[in-house]
Amino acid sequence: MSTHATAEATELDEGETATFGMWVFLATEVLFFGVLFFAYVMTRLRYPEEFASAGRHTDLTLGSINTGVLLTSSLAIALAVRSVSLGAARAGAWLLVATLALGAVFLGLKSLEYWHDYTEHLVPWLDFAFAPPERNGAKLFFYLYFVMTGAHAVHLIIGLSLVGFMLVRLWRGRIDAASVAPLEVTALYWHLVDIIWIFLYPLLYLVSRT
Amino acid sequence: MKAASLRIYIGTWVALMVLFALTLASSFVPLHGFNTAVNVAIAVAKAALVALIFMRLRTSTALVRLAAVAGLAWLLILIGLSLTDFLSRY
Amino acid sequence: MNATSVSSPPAPEGVPTGDARPIEQSYLGAGSSLWSWLTTVDHKRIAILYAVAITAFFFLGGAAATLMRVELVTPRGDLVSAETYNKLFTAHGMIMVWFFLIPSIPTTFGNFLIPLMIGARDLAFPRLNLMSWYVYIAGACITVAALIAGGVDTGWTFYTPFSTMFSSSYVILAIAGVFVVGFSSILTGLNFIVTVHRLRAPGMTWFRLPLFVWAIYATSVILVLATPVLAMTLVLLLVERVLGIGIFDPALGGDPLLFQHLFWFYSHPAVYIMVLPAMGVASEVITCFAHKPVFGYRMMAYAILAIATIGFLVWGHHMFVSGQSVYAGATFSLLSYLVAIPSAIKVFNWTATLYKGSITFEAPMLYALGFVGLFMLGGLTGLFVAALALDVHLTDTYFVVAHFHYIMVGGSVMAYFAAIHYWWPKITGRCYSEGWARFAAVIIFVGFNLTFFPQFLLGAGGMPRRYHEYAPEFQLLNVLSSAGASILAAGYLLPLLYLPWSLRFGARASGNPWDARGLEWQTASPPPVENFETPPVVPERPYDYRPQAAAAEGGA
Repeated sequence: MSTHATAEATELDEGETATFGMWVFLATEVLFFGVLFFAYVMTRLRYPEEFASAGRHTDLTLGSINTGVLLTSSLAIALAVRSVSLGAARAGAWLLVATLALGAVFLGLKSLEYWHDYTEHLVPWLDFAFAPPERNGAKLFFYLYFVMTGAHAVHLIIGLSLVGFMLVRLWRGRIDAASVAPLEVTALYWHLVDIIWIFLYPLLYLVSRT
Repeated sequence: MKAASLRIYIGTWVALMVLFALTLASSFVPLHGFNTAVNVAIAVAKAALVALIFMRLRTSTALVRLAAVAGLAWLLILIGLSLTDFLSRY
Repeated sequence: MNATSVSSPPAPEGVPTGDARPIEQSYLGAGSSLWSWLTTVDHKRIAILYAVAITAFFFLGGAAATLMRVELVTPRGDLVSAETYNKLFTAHGMIMVWFFLIPSIPTTFGNFLIPLMIGARDLAFPRLNLMSWYVYIAGACITVAALIAGGVDTGWTFYTPFSTMFSSSYVILAIAGVFVVGFSSILTGLNFIVTVHRLRAPGMTWFRLPLFVWAIYATSVILVLATPVLAMTLVLLLVERVLGIGIFDPALGGDPLLFQHLFWFYSHPAVYIMVLPAMGVASEVITCFAHKPVFGYRMMAYAILAIATIGFLVWGHHMFVSGQSVYAGATFSLLSYLVAIPSAIKVFNWTATLYKGSITFEAPMLYALGFVGLFMLGGLTGLFVAALALDVHLTDTYFVVAHFHYIMVGGSVMAYFAAIHYWWPKITGRCYSEGWARFAAVIIFVGFNLTFFPQFLLGAGGMPRRYHEYAPEFQLLNVLSSAGASILAAGYLLPLLYLPWSLRFGARASGNPWDARGLEWQTASPPPVENFETPPVVPERPYDYRPQAAAAEGGA
């Protein structure tokens, strides 16, 4: 039986293609960060006491506030996508601004936290405070802390750039209810950054608080 | 393209906040090694909420859901098979 | 080419075959400036951009190998110092793995053919495709910079703690280059996955796809799932080297084996990235020149998926003697035997495809048959090193070197050459010289076996790899191997002569010079920019060849 190649894909189809593509990309990000989770698991299995001892020195207050901030930013961007796809571009724009603001708050608090970590001599390669016998294990914990939160922060900055870019396109009318796919995939990326933090939080901040 | 209701999004956020409070509070309760398990379980629940509701996996095609779990499944292979080494060495 | 071969009956009624129109009206003629090439989003042009780049790297990696083989003619290290030799085999490995083999078939033939084979106009994300090429070039530049600056001596495997703490070579620059090129892989794989799922022409169901598409699809899944692990592992290596602190450092209580688990979690699937596309090519070429449908199409497709999946479960077989627990070793050994099964199924099915076919021996077929035989030998020797007890003796010897070169070179590179010759008329619109091509194929086959078979014997005899000098009793086999290498090099240089010659003086090719099946043969050679002027006809069955009719026609 003879068949014909399709004509142009509809907007709906293109949105689904873009979404599928972004999910494939998110799978690569899960594996990218997964290496760090793997390293954490293997190292903590070896040095449970050192991790517990070192884990008490992360800033629970700032880390917890940041967790709330990111969860709320996910709500904001999810609502932004919803607004735009319902035709409420203005509301969507303000929600994107909220997302950006919350992301900026996160980065600000994270920077403050890094500063505190530095002044408290928790940076393994700069005058590290811990004494033997926990010194080595604590070094490994804080090494992972900085690499994991650092990698997360880099991805957050990328996410903020994408959100900002989408805000501009929304403002210029290039994104609307009929062509919301770029915003949708940006939101997916943002949510992944949130999910990574959801796992980082207990592993880095709730290690041994009793 | 089907937009979920506002209530579902807000409700999910509330649930996330509750779980967040739960994980924080439970960390102060001495559960002798179960703290970590509880915290990870709560993190999984939070991630599932974000993925299913905010990322709309609940209403996605099977293909998209497959892509969504593939990364996690492969990460578990990496960790799981490596544990056959790390757990049996000493 | 039709004059010297048995011709199949023409394709069924109503199926367009594409006639020979001026090349200027094809994708090759759409813009002739360098700028038009460097800013193209046409998957066919991007394929050629990649082909030029990886060919350059093939010969660069080959140059490193040449110097190594010249050094190894004599037992004493008299041509280069030990440090230089270390840099040579590292360069050879890095270049051949990341800048030649991993991209080779997917970025050239995958890019060119996937849209054609599924009846689409282009890939799902054409601009991302071009970006993949630029990312590849960026990674290539960084790596070449590392080589020019003085090279790296850790081996392509970058094992810690040597790479993090003791090597005084340009490790950071080298791993930066590999890190960057990894993203090219990821983006290409992503593009192919989405394309095959979303852009198939109506009627082109999964089980009507050519096996080449299945192979590239499975390869893309591996690319997407494995490469990110390498990327972050290299980041960890870099951070540890710069800061002097890290999880791979035994002095801190870290574990060098963490690196090896992470590295091989990527690098073992990477070898399937290198061989699955070659298997896809073999299925296309063997069916065409046996004039017979592939034997066991579904099993072939499932075997491809099985290889890709099980291939992720066997990485620990690279670490049998590294200090891994013996229980993990046993687990990985058992899993490694499992992965041999789908590979064997494929070899059986190719053989069964040949059985009672009307076989002709054009150059692509010579290369494809060489692929099957040499891949089989390489695979069988894999069973040796997958056995824990045998591997204790064979690991880090030339036995392993010979094993993987039989698969990578005897297998993948031969399949790459099969693909070049099979699709050359489609891509360029020209016919190459069949006589010279067959001659080169034979030279390559002889040269390859003379180079690498002695290495099995060297390895079993105890000669270690990665040494620039060796015990005198190994000299004869080393001389044979180096002699073979010179023949192999000559064989590889021949296509550099007759292929460009054909661009100018070769006969114009028709749309379907091989009377092959597959949608790519239903359009002109070379194809127009939009791939199909009239929508292609999706056949009910793939590989709809008829060997009896072919035999009757040819009167062989």
